[in-house]
Amino acid sequence: MIYDIGLTIGYRYQRAAVTGRHLLRLMPADLPGQQRRLSGGLAIAPTPFERRDLLDFFGNAAVEIAFREAHDEIAFRVAARIERVAQASVLDISPGLDRLGDEIVGYRGLDPEAPHHFVGPSPRIPASPEMAAYAAERAAPGMTVREVVQAVGLGLHADLAYDPQATNVETTPAEAFARRHGVCQDFAQIMIACLRGIGVPAAYVSGFLRTEPPPGEPRLEGADAMHAWVRAWCGWEAGWIEFDPTNAVFVAADHVVIARGRDYGDVSPVRGVLRIAGGQTSEQSVDVVPVGI
Amino acid sequence: MAARDTLAEDQVARLLEGYRPPPGIADELLDPEGRIRPAWRGFIQHFAGLGPEERARRFARGDQYLRDAGVFFRQYGEGSSVERAWPLAHVPMLLAEEELRRISDGLRQRADLLEALAADLYGPNRLVAGGHLPASLIARSREWLRPLVGVAPRGGHYLHFLAFEIGRGPDGTWWVLGDRTQAPSGAGFALENRVATARVYADLFAEEHVHRLAGFFRAFRDALQGLSADPHDEIGILTPGPLNDTYFEHAYIARYLGFTLLEGEDLGVEAGRVMMRTVEGSRPVSVLWRRLDAAFADPLELDEASRIGTPGLVGALRQGSVTLVNALGSGVLETRALLAFMPRIARQLLGEPLALPNIATWWCGQQAERAHVIANRERMMIGPALSTQLPFEADATTMLGGQIRDPALPALDAWLEAEGADLVGQEAVTLSTTPAFVDGRLVPRPMSLRVFLARTPRGWQVMPGGFARIGRSAEPAAIAMQRGGEAADVWVVSETPVEPVSMLPGPAASFARIKPGALPSRAGDNLFWLGRYVERAEGVMRFTRAWHARLAETADPGSPLLEHFRAHLAGIGIDIAEAPPGALTDALRSAVTSASHVRDRFSTDGWTVLNDLAAEAADLGRGIAPGDETARAMGALLRRITGFSGLVHENMYRFTGWRFLSIGRALERSISVAGALAVLADPEAPEGALDLAVEIGDSVMSHRRRYAVTTTRETVVDLLALDAMNPRAILYQLSELRDHAAFLPGADPLGPLTELTRAVLQLHTGLAIQTPDRLDDMALRALQAEVEGLSDLLSETYFR
Repeated sequence: MIYDIGLTIGYRYQRAAVTGRHLLRLMPADLPGQQRRLSGGLAIAPTPFERRDLLDFFGNAAVEIAFREAHDEIAFRVAARIERVAQASVLDISPGLDRLGDEIVGYRGLDPEAPHHFVGPSPRIPASPEMAAYAAERAAPGMTVREVVQAVGLGLHADLAYDPQATNVETTPAEAFARRHGVCQDFAQIMIACLRGIGVPAAYVSGFLRTEPPPGEPRLEGADAMHAWVRAWCGWEAGWIEFDPTNAVFVAADHVVIARGRDYGDVSPVRGVLRIAGGQTSEQSVDVVPVGI
Repeated sequence: MAARDTLAEDQVARLLEGYRPPPGIADELLDPEGRIRPAWRGFIQHFAGLGPEERARRFARGDQYLRDAGVFFRQYGEGSSVERAWPLAHVPMLLAEEELRRISDGLRQRADLLEALAADLYGPNRLVAGGHLPASLIARSREWLRPLVGVAPRGGHYLHFLAFEIGRGPDGTWWVLGDRTQAPSGAGFALENRVATARVYADLFAEEHVHRLAGFFRAFRDALQGLSADPHDEIGILTPGPLNDTYFEHAYIARYLGFTLLEGEDLGVEAGRVMMRTVEGSRPVSVLWRRLDAAFADPLELDEASRIGTPGLVGALRQGSVTLVNALGSGVLETRALLAFMPRIARQLLGEPLALPNIATWWCGQQAERAHVIANRERMMIGPALSTQLPFEADATTMLGGQIRDPALPALDAWLEAEGADLVGQEAVTLSTTPAFVDGRLVPRPMSLRVFLARTPRGWQVMPGGFARIGRSAEPAAIAMQRGGEAADVWVVSETPVEPVSMLPGPAASFARIKPGALPSRAGDNLFWLGRYVERAEGVMRFTRAWHARLAETADPGSPLLEHFRAHLAGIGIDIAEAPPGALTDALRSAVTSASHVRDRFSTDGWTVLNDLAAEAADLGRGIAPGDETARAMGALLRRITGFSGLVHENMYRFTGWRFLSIGRALERSISVAGALAVLADPEAPEGALDLAVEIGDSVMSHRRRYAVTTTRETVVDLLALDAMNPRAILYQLSELRDHAAFLPGADPLGPLTELTRAVLQLHTGLAIQTPDRLDDMALRALQAEVEGLSDLLSETYFR
């Protein structure tokens, strides 16, 4: 499937920002075998004084920008054409959950894909005995890792209410889990804490959903903004499998990946340090339109 | 002669009577046969020959030095922290030169090993790939900073300055207890210990062939200067700020080495280069000696919650434009569990065994190791694997000798099984003892030694000294080291005279920079506000004294004059009913805060006086009676604060920072006097207001001499606003301002006026041509507002 993707993020400051430096992760990724970026551009207004591309540790494309002149608004516009070829995981070649630990130990490497980065707590996803217990309850004896991932994901989808008003970007997984509601970011971070709690390496993925569903299918939750889901390491053979707990599906052609990391902090679309005196407001719009197969 | 020797021997015997190291452990003073080790002989004889009074007098001399120098460290308690006097142990720890040589060989090897390990962990990760190091251990460390992976350090080295905590085991060999690689502290304290201890033993020190420390610091300073991109570049010491436990040391080292003390806010990144914001504009910085933990160094790519970092610093490192000492990410090397793997890593990376062993450690993330720790629990300390604390800085979850310290924790086996990957077992080492002087006699106390290494073009240099931590109790177990210990100077004793110049760098090394560095904007800002706050405090004292003195005369707080004046004071935030006035303690507290940020540029005497003053003002009893008692108390404070001003303005070198300080004072005084005059010289003001104004302006004598009449509105305004010879007058202060502004960066006596010099000149001229009758309260208010405007203009020009 080929998509035209349009993303606009705007910030407005009550009082002009004096200087600012930001790290942007907004561009859909180029992932061999999963998705290809046919074209892509990022426009920034006002034009930053400095702009530099870099690849972060996890291989995500990031752009560092800096402003030197006072400005009271910033707009980021992404226009990209993406070919998405990823298929949903169907075949289960993952080991039993009890064997996963040994497979992780056997992975002797710290490359970005290594499971080790995603087992322990990360800055925004501390270890949670409650969520570990929740996951352990859903992992029946004899289940494969993939089955466990699915069971936890489906369980959370059933138990958590999708509520865009309930949380914000700074809500912790523990808060959202306690109230059993949230948005895609909360769903994803809760599921990650659950999986890590039972020893399954789990990563955070940011991206897009196609805006309008194929004919006859329901519209996906979260399609009007940037989306987030989970990646879980299911052993040597199966490798990484992606699951979207907000929509209770294995990730396939309707999802487009931007970046991957341990939690939201590693992939936050606009990470920045500003010197401003007043408050700020922001708005976001996303369009993911299929233009061919 | 023989008689004197016998006397000396008797004295030594008496001194050591009762000095009994616990059995089965090594002692620094006595060898296993109970004989005094050669390195200690001279010292002990000297020490034994001092009478109790002489000893007390000498100890006091050392303590006095530390107090005068303002040496402190910050101790964190529950939710708060306090500045504590540096706990100097008055008896140094003596080490034979030969002993240090053996230690040095081992530590140099270890330094090279750590460098190679850092290069592997941030590079190809061969140790992990080869199965010599568990990947999960590294991946779980908070100090392994992913944004730095693949970023080769400028100049090729990750590590430049290291400290090692070492201890001596029962068999006399030394063990490494922990590696300090992130931002090792203590070198400055070692230096201060030395100065203080040398004062205690001034006469002995010269004869004892003790190695000097200065050469080590000089070599390191030269090495850092050699790393600079340009010899004119500033070298900065990056500090987390005054709330850090070792901030004193940062300021001290900065002063000692002539480096610039910087906080994250002082730095910015422009086009991939780290720049220091100074009052003269941006200046490049290519070498930063970092005393700030790495995670806080860059909120953009590291801990995003950090408020003390420099956004973009990691990007600058990626572009290779700056050297950090040590590299960001070096903290991972302090991970406690790594000690378990060091012997193996040494063979892998260096192809040789460790010359100095480290404390035996087992990572419980592995089955066999876990079993070993469980089986030998009785002699193990079990604690967090990823901790970077030293073993004796045990926390609540650490368990010693099979006893769980926190009863809420599960049983050992279950604990290790469930959280093994996060735990290590470490053999509880027994430290050697060294003499401490307690209640008039020498007693053996456990000790560990901190040794410092610096990378120089000639390889790793080892500080011929360091500091020894001395345990507070006699308990020989390692754990006794933790809280309340003292720090002793370490004397490395040579058998032959020590050449004071032997450590000096050769003529090929670069020389010290003489040009004074540019003033960081933040430092300028703090000095400016220090000037304002101190003057503000003085103003509050004068106002308060005047009010209460009048009250004492009239005994009627409701009199029209006191009511009129009270209203004015309320308008500027002084509540005359408060004792001590909140406005006074606030101003002094703010002054102390401003001063605390510029301690590297500020005399210790000034700092001490200011702190005393703040404490005294805060202590001014709540029970202090209004009227005469308060007036006198304010008078006493006034004399103290005048002492401070005298110290600063008589002693401070006339560099740009002093000008900002003086400008702050002149501005604040102009504002204060203009406000007071507007109210007290108002024709509507009650009887006596004019005299009050003259009194507040400390100008009663001047008025009498100049006008020889009673006060009139004209004479008072003339004296306090328009008199160019009266330091209390606005015009005088504006002249000061004008003169200082002419020396600020960017101002050129022959060139065009700057925005600031123009504004100051305009204001000064405008006032100079005024007459008392035209300078009514409206005009005074307008003048006050214009001076406030100057403050904003100054901030915008220099402090942004």
